Amino acid sequence: MDDYDKTCLESALVGVCNIVQQEWGGAIPCQVVLVTDGCLGIGRGSLRHSLATHSQRSESNRFPLPFPFPSKLYIMCMANLEELQSTDSLDCLERLIDLNNGEGQIFTIDGPLCLKNVQSMFGKLIDLAYTPFHAVLKCGHLTADVQVFPRPEPFVVDEEIDPIPKVINTDLEIVGFIDIADISSPPVLSRHLVLPIALNKEGDEVGTGITDDNEDENSANQIAGKIPNFCVLLHGSLKVEGMVAIVQLGPEWHGMLYSQADSKKKSNLMMSLFEPGPEPLPWLGKMAQLGPISDAKENPYGEDDNKSPFPLQPKNKRSYAQNVTVWIKPSGLQTDVQKILRNARKLPEKTQTFYKELNRLRKAALAFGFLDLLKGVADMLERECTLLPDTAHPDAAFQLTHAAQQLKLASTGTSEYAGYDHNITPLQTDFSGSSAERM
Amino acid sequence: MKIFSESHKTVFVVDHCPYMAESCRQHVEFDMLVKNRTQGIIPLAPISKSLWTCSVESSMEYCRIMYDIFPFKKLVNFIVSDSGAHVLNSWTQEDQNLQELMAALAAVGPPNPRADPECCSILHGLVAAVETLCKITEYQHEARTLLMENAERVGNRGRIICITNAKSDSHVRMLEDCVQETIHEHNKLAANSDHLMQIQKCELVLIHTYPVGEDSLVSDRPKKELSPVLTSEVHSVRAGRHLATKLNILVQQHFDLASTTITNIPMKEEQHANTSANYDVELLHHKDAHVDFLKSGDNHLSGSSREGSFKETITLKWCTPRTNNIELHYCTGAYRISPVDVNSRPSSCLTNFLLNDPRYKIDGSLEIPLERAKDQLEKHTRYWPMIISQTTIFNMQAVVPLASVIVKESLTEEDVLNCQKTIYNLVDMERKNDPLPISTVGTRGKGPKRDEQYRIMWNELETLVRAHINNSEKHQRVLECLMACRSKPPEEEERKKRGRKREDKEDKSEKAVKDYEQEKSWQDSERLKGILERGKEELAEAEIIKDSPDSPEPPNKKPLVETDETPPVEKSKGPVSLLSLWSNRINTANSRKHQEFAGRLNSVNNRAELYQHLKEENGMETTENGKASRQ
Repeated sequence: MDDYDKTCLESALVGVCNIVQQEWGGAIPCQVVLVTDGCLGIGRGSLRHSLATHSQRSESNRFPLPFPFPSKLYIMCMANLEELQSTDSLDCLERLIDLNNGEGQIFTIDGPLCLKNVQSMFGKLIDLAYTPFHAVLKCGHLTADVQVFPRPEPFVVDEEIDPIPKVINTDLEIVGFIDIADISSPPVLSRHLVLPIALNKEGDEVGTGITDDNEDENSANQIAGKIPNFCVLLHGSLKVEGMVAIVQLGPEWHGMLYSQADSKKKSNLMMSLFEPGPEPLPWLGKMAQLGPISDAKENPYGEDDNKSPFPLQPKNKRSYAQNVTVWIKPSGLQTDVQKILRNARKLPEKTQTFYKELNRLRKAALAFGFLDLLKGVADMLERECTLLPDTAHPDAAFQLTHAAQQLKLASTGTSEYAGYDHNITPLQTDFSGSSAERM
Repeated sequence: MKIFSESHKTVFVVDHCPYMAESCRQHVEFDMLVKNRTQGIIPLAPISKSLWTCSVESSMEYCRIMYDIFPFKKLVNFIVSDSGAHVLNSWTQEDQNLQELMAALAAVGPPNPRADPECCSILHGLVAAVETLCKITEYQHEARTLLMENAERVGNRGRIICITNAKSDSHVRMLEDCVQETIHEHNKLAANSDHLMQIQKCELVLIHTYPVGEDSLVSDRPKKELSPVLTSEVHSVRAGRHLATKLNILVQQHFDLASTTITNIPMKEEQHANTSANYDVELLHHKDAHVDFLKSGDNHLSGSSREGSFKETITLKWCTPRTNNIELHYCTGAYRISPVDVNSRPSSCLTNFLLNDPRYKIDGSLEIPLERAKDQLEKHTRYWPMIISQTTIFNMQAVVPLASVIVKESLTEEDVLNCQKTIYNLVDMERKNDPLPISTVGTRGKGPKRDEQYRIMWNELETLVRAHINNSEKHQRVLECLMACRSKPPEEEERKKRGRKREDKEDKSEKAVKDYEQEKSWQDSERLKGILERGKEELAEAEIIKDSPDSPEPPNKKPLVETDETPPVEKSKGPVSLLSLWSNRINTANSRKHQEFAGRLNSVNNRAELYQHLKEENGMETTENGKASRQ
């Protein structure tokens, strides 16, 4: 980004907006920290001017807020509250936060402007926005103290019934492992880096940070590198096995731990959060029922690991998986009629398919109350019968006549013949034996 | 969308009165003669659908799309109205599918054109619709039970979609009044009932449909609030495909759907199997799927779909997926879809391609409680050395038959036998003086002698087995066998000859093993062992962890090193980078979480006496030995 010698907050925000979008797109949450002396600039390009013209923007010079990505805008004012309140600066800056849908906060200096107070203000920002989440990662008896970056945001499940934001547990318990192929790139609310905190309970003080004795600290670092850490074991295992660990985040809330490569050489342990609920990933079914495969009567992955229980088949198939009948467009109806006709011309070889298609059409026509169609198709089959060539198998004529007659009966709508679950079955003829067909 | 918005409950009320048997006057050619057939055949006359057929198939299409995208929690109640109301299904989830509705509609059949029109009315259906909206759904019931005293927070809203043939605007007005009146009455009833819920909000969508070519007697009217509880809108629509289009638009509005067209999907031609052409398939889905697109400003919006009807669709170019499914991709959303034109060839080619996962699928679901997985993890991790050089037995193929079954909840006789065989085999190895894979990494010299190697191995195996003896009596038997067979610990005399440190280490781990039953102190013993070993192994071991290719940086190493480079805050008042400000803060926070070093806890004036144990007679209390020796 270029820098200029004039205060022009709007251009700065536009610049940030472009950089973030180019770099990370519109889906990655970003914290934007604006450091200002609280002066808003003068004339054109000043924040006052920007805000005054805010309502007159077209698509081409859209005001950069709200940012087109999930964001928090933190405004760090190098001025104390009294100074800012003496003008309308604070109001204007507050407008910015409002324009960012309330996502963000303004920080001001407590007391006189000096290095110590500025540091203290940034300290507050760090505490608010850059503090990792501390948790204990558990897998049976194996545990590790970890920090999670960035802090997972509280999640509101349903604003009507359950408006209390859910926060994740500080005990993150691994409840199982699953193949990457089975979980297959699931949608996640957010993802986080999981880093072990260097300490061990025997009292090695590692990573205490500020110490005056650098030598001591170095040795502490060396020790930290030597302590076997469950995170390292977990990360390596997940990577080698091509699996993810399912982790319990709270009641009816799960996430996954996995290895994510950030370059060819280096990869990290990451945690992603699923949407809370009993069944966040429909293709895995209910989380509460994902027990260990060793408990299954038969290994669902097969002896040679050549099959998988996932994705689960839904109880009710979706319309695109169940061969539904839709005749809204004439072409839909014509295709179905032609299928019957094509099979009719290949009787008796296609007897089974012929009746299958015939019954499908019959069912739909009955449900839609489209009895004229049944009559029409019956007429058509009768005509086909008259057009049969001399070489045709004698069974063909019998089947066509039988089918036509059954459709006519159904078209009367009387319950005896128009039952939805009733199927027209092939006529048993002396030739039936030879009409065996492979389906 | 809130769970209990208007879209939770949709009531279809379809007119089944005699005039609905009338033709929509839109012809369908169904006798499409295939080429090269006998000349001179006159095709059968085209047929046309009745107003009823048009209404039913359009409603079914609405339901199809809704069920595809919301298989749960969005419910339909279907009512047919003539001389009375016929309620075809209930709010229960089992009743929510197309097959059920189609079967029920078939049972009703088309309207009887010869029935007495005076006896028939859409009003019966509308009254029944209000009644059914007061009935609680299983989801509402569940939510109310869960919320207990806050049960009133569970909303009861719904939508009535009424397809009829009205006589005039005032007729429409009369229908609206009737609905309003009925809601009023039923809300009074519901107030005094545990099984019924008052209607908080009802959206009435009145669709007047009439044969193509006739003039409409009813005018369109946008949504209007008739009362705080009832809103109503009127659509006057020609029957046939116009009605279907209208319901397609409505389902998109009601359920916040949007359209995406996948373009350039290569498919084999039906006629010429060896050629392929590109097709487009339009899909509907929740509009949230487009949120990020629209935000990015890069909207691939194209004006209208081929139908030219209502929608804006976002076009995406097909990209044949690689068959690599072992990679995790970052995914921010997954949405259910429904093809607009479900049984067109391009649509079914696409959905079949996507449904036919190459991997073999099994039917039926696995339902094993997740708690069982936690139990299993607990058992498997009772004894789990974290690094290879810390274990002997897990480096030995010969131990596998025992190690793999001992973690089980219960053992079979065969398992016990296998464990015993494993132990005998180890005894045999010891007798033959076979070498053991004891890690010599970081140790000085050749490492422990052979007999000592076996002692370490037996100790470790005992630790493993002891961790599981409470699982069952059979586990106990394995331990008995082990104790009977293992080489006995050396005599006290011999022990004294050995180096003190090693002795400490061994005794510590043996002691810990005995403690297991009370506490899982094995864990501490492992750590202790680790610390003691590190005393000797120094940096070499760190190399092992760091060198394993997949390991992240050792914890906190980096930030700390960087802190080194910047002067500590207190010392100089010079500039502090934001990064160091941050890392100092985080590190301080982390350090607060540490358990305090026992030496410091027990210290007097920040001085702790070292090697206290040497003063003690038995010299066994060496807990802080490892640490102390470094200071």
